[in-house]
Amino acid sequence: MKRASFYNTTAYRGLRLAIVVGMAAVILGAFSYGGSWLSVPRMPILEHTARNLYFHVPMWFTMMGLALISAYHSLQYLRLGLVVRDLRASEAAKMAVVFGLLGLVTGSVWAHYTWYEGTNIWWNFDPKQTLAAVQVLIYGAYFGLRNAMDDPTVRARVSAAYNLFAAVTVPFLLYVLPRQMESLHPGAEGNPAFSEITHPVMRIVFYPAVFAFFLVGWLLYTQRVRLGLIARRMTSHVELNL
Amino acid sequence: MHNPMAATTRWLRGTWAVVSKDIRLELRSRHSMNVLLIFVLATLLLLALAAGPSTSIPRLQSGLMWMVILFSTALGLGRAFVAEEEQGTALLLRLHVSSSRIYAGKLCFNLVLSLAINGVLVTAFIVLLRVRVGEPLLLVLSLVLGTVGLAGTTTLLAAIVARSQRRAALLPMLTFPLLLPVLLPAVDATHSGLIGSWQNTGTPLMTLASYSGTVITASAMLFDYAWRD
Repeated sequence: MKRASFYNTTAYRGLRLAIVVGMAAVILGAFSYGGSWLSVPRMPILEHTARNLYFHVPMWFTMMGLALISAYHSLQYLRLGLVVRDLRASEAAKMAVVFGLLGLVTGSVWAHYTWYEGTNIWWNFDPKQTLAAVQVLIYGAYFGLRNAMDDPTVRARVSAAYNLFAAVTVPFLLYVLPRQMESLHPGAEGNPAFSEITHPVMRIVFYPAVFAFFLVGWLLYTQRVRLGLIARRMTSHVELNL
Repeated sequence: MHNPMAATTRWLRGTWAVVSKDIRLELRSRHSMNVLLIFVLATLLLLALAAGPSTSIPRLQSGLMWMVILFSTALGLGRAFVAEEEQGTALLLRLHVSSSRIYAGKLCFNLVLSLAINGVLVTAFIVLLRVRVGEPLLLVLSLVLGTVGLAGTTTLLAAIVARSQRRAALLPMLTFPLLLPVLLPAVDATHSGLIGSWQNTGTPLMTLASYSGTVITASAMLFDYAWRD
């Protein structure tokens, strides 16, 4: 029986090391403060909080990436019914929740001290913020649903159906939410695009940071999938159709 | 057999069989209707007492109205499939009728039920909270379109909930995050209906219609996975 997931352990460990080193380099780059090299431009109000760009934005991207992976594997589960697809969908969703919560917290703190400086606002219904919160709620419901079912086959199929159904409704929020409140995020209607207001120096760190966060998300997700596969192999005596 | 018209007729007949069975059962026991009417009236009474008759801001009124509608939907529309599981008739239904007919039938039944309940709800709301309605037609339009969106979303999720062993509070948890694209335009359109202005009502109504279409299409495609054994 062919084993699923990343079977070449040596290559996987090498890649993992490379990702850890890359992430460390990104963190060093994000906090480095020396002369002109990599120092962020000082703007009033924003000041050094601009460095949050390296963390907040990639977290949000990673969440969306993992949400897409989760929906993709749910679709594949419904097509062919392989157990590993269900595991992949649920683990990707779990990691999407982690990155979504981190993105919400970093965004909320950042906005409190910049956009809403002088007010006591911690939470505002900015469209992107609401979208992230709804996405986290959807995955909360997804895991609540999984907990409520005992039969593993029914649980896998029904939760895959819910995941896909949710994926269909989420794009409507992109259309509905901006009508409720104008976004302060760059690139929203009337706001300057991200490329216009981001200093070139910051991009030296920002683009690798996006890449590194994607890879860290992928790493955590695949690690959990591998763990899940091992746990299944240990608890089950039946030949699994992985 | 190969005549498409005959196939369509047979499909419609199967769907109608499911709808008429559910309506007949409902008229006999009046279980859902009684529960929902009492829930709605009790909630509105408490709301009117808690908020006082001075809640005269149209935006607040339309928001409160849709919150009550949302909760009564989450409470009532789950019955359609849970009842089949509880009475042990789900297997029989699976054997006799194809899943697409069951979905269409249950959707129609949920639509009829929730339109009836929401009609009573909104009338009672207007009376108890002394709401002034500027444009009744727009109010009815937003109510009907919003109800279609709610029923379209909830029907598939009710089938999903019926498959689970621990059902308490599961349906609201599953539906509420997905109902935001219904709630926001519906509240917008209702607000316009209360203040009596047709300005800027095109977008919310179009959003409601397209959301309902998308959700019902997706449900029809996914229903089989949630329903079959």
